Formats: sequence, C-alpha cells, structure tokens
Amino acid sequence: MKNATKIASLLLAGTMAVSLAACGGQETVTNDAAADSSASSTEAATSEEAAAEETSTRPTEPSGQLVIGSTTQVINEFYDTAFSNSATNYAMYDLIHGGDTVVYTKEGEFAYNDTVLASHEETDNEDGSKTYTMTINDGLVWSDGSPITAKDYVFAMLLENSPTMIEIGYPGANMNVYVGYEEYNEGATDTFAGVHLIDDMTFSLTVKAEELPYHYDISYAIARPRPMAVIAPGCDVEDTENGARITGDFTSELLEETINNIDTGYRYNPQVTCGPYLFAGFDEAAQEATLKVNPKYNGDYRGVKPVIETLVVRTVSSDTMVNELEAGSVDLLFQSSGADTINAGLDLVEEGIAADTTYYRNGYGKIQFDCSVFPTDSAAVRQAIAYCLDRNEFARQYSGGYAAVVNAAYGLAQVEYTENADWLAENLNSYEVNVDTAKELLEADGWNLNADGTPYSGTGTRYKDVDGTLQPLVITWCNSEGNPVSDLLATMLPTNMAEAGMELKATTTDFATLQDCINHAGETTYNMYNLATGFATANSPWYYYSTDEMWMRAGYNSNWIVDQELADASGAMKNIPYEDTEAWMEAWRNYIKVWNEKMPDIPLYSDEYFDFYSTKLHGWEATAIWGWERALLDAWVSE
Amino acid sequence: MGKGRYLVRRLVYIVFVFFIISILMFFIYKSMPGDPVRMMLGDVSQSMKPDAYQALYDRTYLQLGLDKPLVVQYFIWIGNMLTGNFGYSTQYKRDVIEVIGTPMLNTLMLNAVSMLVVFAISIPLGIATAVRKNGVFDKFIQVITIVGYSLPSFIIALLLIFAFAVKIPIFPISGVRSPGFSGNGFEMFLDTAWHMALPAIVMSISGIGSITRYVRAEMIDVLRMDYIKTARAKGLKEKTVIYVHAFRNALIPIVTIATAWVVALFGGSVVIESVFLWPGLGKMLIDGLMQRDFSIVLTMQMFYVILALAGNVIMDIAYTIVDPRVRLEN
Repeated sequence: MKNATKIASLLLAGTMAVSLAACGGQETVTNDAAADSSASSTEAATSEEAAAEETSTRPTEPSGQLVIGSTTQVINEFYDTAFSNSATNYAMYDLIHGGDTVVYTKEGEFAYNDTVLASHEETDNEDGSKTYTMTINDGLVWSDGSPITAKDYVFAMLLENSPTMIEIGYPGANMNVYVGYEEYNEGATDTFAGVHLIDDMTFSLTVKAEELPYHYDISYAIARPRPMAVIAPGCDVEDTENGARITGDFTSELLEETINNIDTGYRYNPQVTCGPYLFAGFDEAAQEATLKVNPKYNGDYRGVKPVIETLVVRTVSSDTMVNELEAGSVDLLFQSSGADTINAGLDLVEEGIAADTTYYRNGYGKIQFDCSVFPTDSAAVRQAIAYCLDRNEFARQYSGGYAAVVNAAYGLAQVEYTENADWLAENLNSYEVNVDTAKELLEADGWNLNADGTPYSGTGTRYKDVDGTLQPLVITWCNSEGNPVSDLLATMLPTNMAEAGMELKATTTDFATLQDCINHAGETTYNMYNLATGFATANSPWYYYSTDEMWMRAGYNSNWIVDQELADASGAMKNIPYEDTEAWMEAWRNYIKVWNEKMPDIPLYSDEYFDFYSTKLHGWEATAIWGWERALLDAWVSE
Repeated sequence: MGKGRYLVRRLVYIVFVFFIISILMFFIYKSMPGDPVRMMLGDVSQSMKPDAYQALYDRTYLQLGLDKPLVVQYFIWIGNMLTGNFGYSTQYKRDVIEVIGTPMLNTLMLNAVSMLVVFAISIPLGIATAVRKNGVFDKFIQVITIVGYSLPSFIIALLLIFAFAVKIPIFPISGVRSPGFSGNGFEMFLDTAWHMALPAIVMSISGIGSITRYVRAEMIDVLRMDYIKTARAKGLKEKTVIYVHAFRNALIPIVTIATAWVVALFGGSVVIESVFLWPGLGKMLIDGLMQRDFSIVLTMQMFYVILALAGNVIMDIAYTIVDPRVRLEN
C-alpha cells in the first residue's frame, strides 16, 4: 500500500512538474494555512528529530563531499549574474568569489565585513555627495597565494563599468550612483571620478548627491575584488585627481581572451578567486559543477571557514529529486515546495533516511492587477475581486497545507513581518470572502446598471456609465499555461465574481507573451495576472509604486499604479537612516496599511520551504535570508 | 534519366525547399509575441535604475540587429548561417555553436543506442511472431507490444525509475554521470553507459512495440505470396525462405521507417531528457522557444530540415539497394 502511494505520488509529482516545465512559468508553491498564526515562531525551525540526533561534532579540517541538487539548471557560467539569470549559478558565484566589503548578515542586516576591512569611513562632502573610504586588511590572498590589494577592488569597479567590458557582451555593472559614472561608461574619459585608489590597501567610492539620503546607503560601500593580474595581465591601476583609471593594453581583444575564452576564460574557468570555495570543474554533459574548499580563505564576516571539502552541484528533476535523496545520489535539496514533494520528503525524515529544515519564503504568490487598465484602475473593483476569493481555502487546496495567507506586500520571512505580526493581524483588512461586500463596493463605484441602461437587476454583468458610454464589468485575466495556480483560480473565482456582477475572461499563454503584456510591450493588456514574487535584500517599495512612468516601463511598478497616497507612503521610507529601526518600522506599517486598502495585488500565499538533506549533513541553519550557499559555511558532513 | 541526374535534380529541389522553409520559419518565429531582449536581460532590470536599464535594453536591441527590417534580418541571418555562423544565443549569452555541441552529442548517443536496441529486438521478434501467426507466442507478444507503444514514455520512465532505481537500485535515477565522478576514459564510458541504461530502455520500449508490429504485418503479407510457396515447394529450408526470400521483400516499408529513425537520431525527447536529466536537443529546443532564443531555435529547425530532406534522398537510394526493381527515375 505504501509503495502504491509512493508510485502514485511520483506519477502525480511528475505530471505536475512536466506541465510546469512546459509552461516555464511559476514555480511550484505550497501553503500551510494552519501555520498562519504561528508563522513567526516557525521560521528556520530545524526539525526536532534531527536536532535530537545531532551528535556529530564539527571537524577542524575540511573533509567529505556534499552533493547538492538544484531544480534550476546548473550552467557553465561563473562570472556573475550579469551573464546568467540562474539563481543556482549565482549562489555558486557567491561561493567562489569573496572579499566583500559589505555583507548581508545572518540576521538580515547590511554590515561592514570586519574580516576584510581594517577600517572604513563615511564622509559627507560639501557638495552633498558622500565618500566611503575603506582600508582592507593585510593578509588577504587570492587562491594562488598572491596578495589581494586595493587595486583589485578598484580594478573591479573600473573593469565592470567600462565600455570595453560592454564590447565583449557584458551588460555592465551600471554603478550609476557613483560620481563620474556616465562619463566613464560612455568612454568620454578614461578615469572614473567617483573611484579613487588611495594606497595599496585603501580605496574610496563617492556617491552622487542626488542618490542621498537613502535608507540602504551602506550598500553603496559594497565592493568585491577581481584579480587584475589574471583578467588584465600587463595592465595596472593608477589614481589621478580625476579618479582612478586602468593603464596598459586594456582592450576588448584582451578581455575576449581572458574572460570569454570558452576553455580558459574567467567566465567559464575562474582559477584565481578568493571565496570559501574554488572552482574545480564543470561537466557540460552532466550539467554538474564541482567546487573544492579554498584553503586560503580568510573566513566570512564572522570568521567562519567551510569544513566540507568538496561540493558537487548538479541539476535534479523535481519529479525524482526526493528519490535521488533516498538513493543517496544527492545529499541536499534546498527550498523544496509543493505538497507532493514535501510529503515525500517528510516520509524520508520519518523513516530516518533524511533530515529537514523548514522556513518561510521571503515573498508571496499573488494576483497582480494592471491598475492602468479599465476597470481595474478602480480600487473598489480590485477590492471587490478580493472579496470574491476565499483565499484561505485557495491556499489550503493549492498548497496542501504548506503556506500561509498574507494580506499585503510582505513575506513571512521578512523582519518587518516578524516584528509587526500582531499589529498586522489587528490592523489589516483580511478580505474574508464576502460577495455581498463585493456587491456594495461595486454599487458605490457606479456599477449599478444593466446592459440597456436600466438599474441593475441583480443578475448578469453590471454596467457603468463612463462619459456617456455604458461599459460592462469585464475583467480580463492572462495566465501562463499548465499553471496549477491558474487552474485553481479558474475554478474558485468565476462563480463568486459572476454573482457579484463581474465577468471573468481568461486567456492562457506562455510566460514570454505574458511578460510582454505586463510590460505593455505588446498590443494587448489585461486586467490581471497571477504571478509570484520575492523580496530583494534591499527591498525598495518606493520604486515599485513610483508614479513616474519610467519605473513602470522598467518593470518596477508592474502594477502601473498611479496613486499618490501609495507613492507617498512607500516613498517616505526611502530617506530613513538605516540605523533608525523605529522610524523604518513605523513608515513600513503605514505603507502596508495603505497598500492593503489600495490592493494593487491580491496576495494569495507565502510558502513554507523545506530543505531536505542526508543525515550525514549537520549544522544546517538555512533560512529564506541565509541561503544554502551561506549555510554551507557552518555545516559539516560525517562520512 | 540516370541515377546521377536524378540526384542532381533532388539536390536542386532540396536547396529550393530549404530556402522556402527558411523564409517561413524565420518569419513565423520572428512574429511570435514575446520580447527576446527582455527575456535575455531577465532580472537585470531589478538591479539598475530605469534609465540605465533602458540604455542597456536599447544597446542590446541594436547589438542583436533587431532594429533592422525583418527582410534585412533574414538575409543577414541566412548569410551567416550558410557561412557557419549560427548566431548568438540570447539565453546562454554565447555563440550558438558553443552551446549546441554537447546536447547534440548526448542526444545522438542516447538515440543511437536505443535505435540499435529497437532494431536488434523488434526485427527478429516481428519475424518470429509472423511465422507463428495466431499462436500463443504471437498473441502474447501482440499484447505486450500494444502495451509498449500505448503507455506514455513519461509513465514508463517513472515506473522504471521506481522499480530499478529506487526499490531495486541497480540503475541511477538520473544524470549522465555519477556526481563528482573521476576516472579514466574507459571508466567514464562505463559510468555513462550505466546512466544511459534506463533512458535507453524507456526510449526503446515504444519503438520495439510499434516496429515489431510493423515487421510482423509486412512479413505476414509477404509470406502469403506465391513466390514463397514456390520457394517452399522447391524444398528450401524454412530459414532460407523466411530470411532470404520473405524478409528481403518485406524490407522496403521497413527501410522507410528505419530511415525516419536515422533522421530522428538527432531529435531529442523533451520528456525523456527532463525526467532523466539527460541534457539533449529536445529540451534545448523547448527552452529556446520559451526564452525566445531564436538563434538556437532556428539553427536546430534548419538542421532538422536538412536532415529530413537528406533523409528522403537516402531513403530513395536505400530502396534501390534492397529492391533492384526500384529505379530512381521512377
């Protein structure tokens, strides 16, 4: 019977995964409605069973191998995110490269990296600009033993913002917050005015006055070195009064060879790095990367060095990944979601074959409205649609119990949520399903006519007189094919919407087309889409609800909402000093309250993620903000 | 008309059809909704200011030559294609020629093995069932082959994984090689062959089912012919009658199928590649379409067009080999 259940779940999981793969759309997500009230207490809760069995001690020397399974395709691309959109490759990039001056800590805060920096200074200049001067520690070395100096940091800034780099296909680091970026990037000058090399161990970055004040201004001091001797052999960095510049034969031909060469280029084969792990190889046929511990690594911001000797990162199929864990062909599956996968993983935990760590996602799934399109340009219509959906039941049915419903633009892993959970529960409208309230909202918004202009009869589609023309209350909805969220919405929404007097017209397409519609890049726009979103470490809602159209065209304000109250509420957060937590929280609560009233999205669920891993892995403390690539530093394996 | 003249005519025809299809393909794909530049840049927009993103977008748009009229884009593309420049992959941000080789080799390897398995099993099996028509053995094989080609390969794959990789772990679940594999060339070959076993079996099952039935039907028809009766009346051994007289005459339709299979050697299966994580051309084509990576998609499509057209010529030539009565001018 148990085997039959496993076969059935395998087939079901496989069917769903193939349909998802075919649509290339939304990730599989899961919910736990029951966990809603206790979300804050369950974040990063390592399973009690695993904790009780934690008897292994952390070795002092690196040993063992860990095979990490990624449902995102592992590709041969290790320069940075500019060349590749793969989240797994970005995590490997983080493991290979290091020396960051500013880090995002385990507690979810930006902080200067004391392992790297001997000192740092922030100077407010007379012209309103701000200079970050940083001196790196002695003794930092590249993996080949050569010393890391300030030149390597300055070189990275100059290299990645240079027109020469763009010539070889690099999109550019676009560090346009620094003084002199435009002139340097466009090739008008060979010096970068906002970047200075002060001495062998000290450099400075100067931020434009118009970029200040800024809540996350510490992030302006983020810098990461590149090995100049490897990427631009024969070149040097020198400082002038107009900023730093690269000297020597710094050409696109040189970079084509040192970066883009398919066999030896730094992009595909970075041999000199300074992160916790070294690149050991990529098997193109097997889509598998191997990393070896870097014996010369100085430690992360806490001084922690990895003790797992070898990492193998390979692609796994969501259909069979739990079986791979059971068979021992992978040791770690991170951010698993979906009831079938989670239940299969929990079976392994129950059998003692695996252990688990669970945490809430830093994001949420949603119905996203286009607030520039009639009739969802009306907040009342958006609210009415929200009242037509039983979100708790949706989350329960969709997730199988591994997510919670959220009521505004926050994820359950966010510090802002955990700090304000009680306030949110008391002050936000939870939009419990209520068709009568939806009707009242629509009546008040003027949707009180029949097709012939007579007062609304109570059945059928409502109409509204708009500038002398009768307009029907039709909501157009675009969704991606093979998407289980769409399937469930299609069964739960239309009936209640029809009862309230709304007609829902659905169109199914692929993700690229859907994206075009969201971005107003094609001829067709829709009233709503179903999507999922995650929050960046420097979450910046003031961009997402800016009334300036350029933020809409660039995909930040993808709701295309022009609402001054929401723009003001989110904009008020931008200038709050990073240290002023109290003011930040107060502004955040106000923003969330306004957001909850305006309803640019209907939040549907915030997932509970599971990391499943072999019992040989110990000390695993991953969370939504402390990803697997960081959790690896504290973990160890017992063979 | 001689064989050479026929081949020249077919060659001209192939070139003509190639260009017609290239025009159709190019304009159909280019008219698909979805912005390749936006897909290429991905989430970059979320890490830069709108004006910087717009500048990057415009620059990329120009670099990809999308500012030119479609007709001009076509001529640039076909010109490059004919000189061996297959373009730039917006998905992998590398030249197409650099990313297509490994998946092609993976697909070719898997398909070649499964084709060998299919023909090695189905031809003798088809003949054996035809000879034992309506016997217990024949009926048993009929049922098995119907099940074989009726079940979706996706279901067969998951069932075999559960049986032979999870419950009785004699094969690996997925992948091309063992994680972190190290060893010499021969050990690597063995490891890859071990990983190839399950996907090759799954790919073979439906092929064996359909081709066995096909061979059986053809053989049954041929075995009814007068010349078979004559051969038997002459006192020839049954094996000679079946394998020399009957099978050779049943070969023409089988050649049609076999040629199609050879062409299909380069056609990847999205399902098999996804379930077994065998990175091949099937998944690459689908991913390319989803990502609007037209350079990859068009390169692969035109490759398949050439294969299909060449396959037809090879098929015609093969007919003349298996049946001397067939003349190419006919």
